[in-house]
Amino acid sequence: MFQQLLINAISVGCLYALMAVGFALIYNTSRIFHVAHGAVYTITGYLCYFFLLRLHWGTAVAVVMSILCSAILGAIIEIVIYAPLARKKAPLTVCLLSSVGLYIALSNIVVMIFGSDTKLLRPDIEKVYHFSGIVLTRIQLCQVVVSVCLIGLTLLVLRYTNLGRKMRAVRDNPTLTIIMGVNQRQVRLAVFALGSALAGTAAVLAALDVGVDPNMGMPALLTAAVALIVGGVGSFEGAAVGGLTLGLLQALVIWRISARWTDALTFTVLVLFLLCRPRGLFGIHRRLEEETT
Amino acid sequence: MNYLWHMLIFISLYSLLSMSLNLVVGYAGLLSLCHAAFYGLGAYSTALLMTRSGWGFFPALLAAMVITALLSSIIAVPSLRLRGDFFVLATLGFQVIVFSLLYNWDNFTNGSYGITGIANPVLFGWSVDTPFRYFLLAGTISVVGLGLMRALALSPFGRVLKAIRENEVAAVALGKNVALLKIVVFAVAAAFAAVSGGIFAAYTQYIDPTSFMLSEALFILSIVIIGGAGNQVGPLIGTVLLVTLPEMLRFLRMPDAIASSLRQVIYGAAIVLLMRFRPQGIQGDYKFD
Repeated sequence: MFQQLLINAISVGCLYALMAVGFALIYNTSRIFHVAHGAVYTITGYLCYFFLLRLHWGTAVAVVMSILCSAILGAIIEIVIYAPLARKKAPLTVCLLSSVGLYIALSNIVVMIFGSDTKLLRPDIEKVYHFSGIVLTRIQLCQVVVSVCLIGLTLLVLRYTNLGRKMRAVRDNPTLTIIMGVNQRQVRLAVFALGSALAGTAAVLAALDVGVDPNMGMPALLTAAVALIVGGVGSFEGAAVGGLTLGLLQALVIWRISARWTDALTFTVLVLFLLCRPRGLFGIHRRLEEETT
Repeated sequence: MNYLWHMLIFISLYSLLSMSLNLVVGYAGLLSLCHAAFYGLGAYSTALLMTRSGWGFFPALLAAMVITALLSSIIAVPSLRLRGDFFVLATLGFQVIVFSLLYNWDNFTNGSYGITGIANPVLFGWSVDTPFRYFLLAGTISVVGLGLMRALALSPFGRVLKAIRENEVAAVALGKNVALLKIVVFAVAAAFAAVSGGIFAAYTQYIDPTSFMLSEALFILSIVIIGGAGNQVGPLIGTVLLVTLPEMLRFLRMPDAIASSLRQVIYGAAIVLLMRFRPQGIQGDYKFD
């Protein structure tokens, strides 16, 4: 029983981690609290549904196309919404509020097109594997494998490629990075596309498992934001660890108390971290004066 | 005619909600996403005191104000140490936790079934039982409430709040007790939101947690942002616009299912556009900087 719960917790935690790393990519570099990330998540889930069940594409094609669309959507949001605000040197609160507005508008457009009921992507029963008493569905296996690979790949890109080095530079000191001649606009565009693609992947993996509904984005976004705080703002690895930790803690609550209290738990963890350890597990300690740059 | 009173009741309720949120967001510059939690706490305290303990409406409403104001300090006190996005996230966490409690604490709040059979208010033998009488009640209370909040906002207290918003360090340097002021403004705003919640509970006679979700908090915040924060006019404009918006859509012969989503698409898009071209909203003083 415990091992089974642990497996479930890891597969859920991997999805949280994927979403959290995507959110962290965007938040750490642009400092925009990208609430519309949740809308990207919802829309990608619905695109996958649309490709699979309305256009009758094959699973692989539908999955790849919807993830590609999520990257494009993220880039469009940066170009149309945030880049003009950045050019105006708008305060970050204004970016946050327009992101909230965008989330409200986009997720309700989804409701207008597809209705507000939950839609399953695959009606057939999932193939399961048995390992010494533990049941593992095929989609859970996919969730774990794909998440681990993509997060690993993202961290490698951040560490070893030129683009990744620029992203980390923008995170550490945006002003200095511009002075050094890095095209910040390109870096931000890359960050939004990559981060949204990670969110899109998480959305598709979740959608294939439990279906889609128009409100799926908000809980996913909030968990990602909490994972970011738990892991530590500024740290990409931390976000992944934070997501995994939240998945495990939620499983613990489901096991010991009841599944109804998972939301309350997530935010209790958030409040505790904000109060007791605001820089999270692996966060870079910054003084207040540094935050303004 | 009842339809008109119904609209006016909701305008009264939301003007209380938006003006009290305006004290926090527009005057003190604290972006709060948990106003629906205070609204809900007020509604539930009033309803529970009336149905479980047999209190009258007015004592229950007063008690709800006090309870909600005290509960608001649970979020206000710890949040004082947080800035910017972290503060927003903490208030959001409070909102989700309160909703979760209302929804899941079956023994106390009756969970997703909500509370039924909330009695009509009775004032000196005069029973409030028709929409017109409810309008008189809600209108009177909200006019008094708006008056009090106006007096507060134009007083030295309001000026210090604005000073905190513009430059917190300078306010501290001038010897203002910033922490205390923030706690007080949160408590005052929560108390007025609770009044609105109490009237809502009495008017609909049935409440359930889904009226007090995050989407409701976003709606109240949208009213303040679109109307304009930081003065006494903006949120009222926002209230009238956003509360009557679904009715205007109804006159366009929209099916109800689409109209409610379309309304949210419209105000979501309005926020995006306003933030780009006019961050102070239609008639506001505060540009969220």
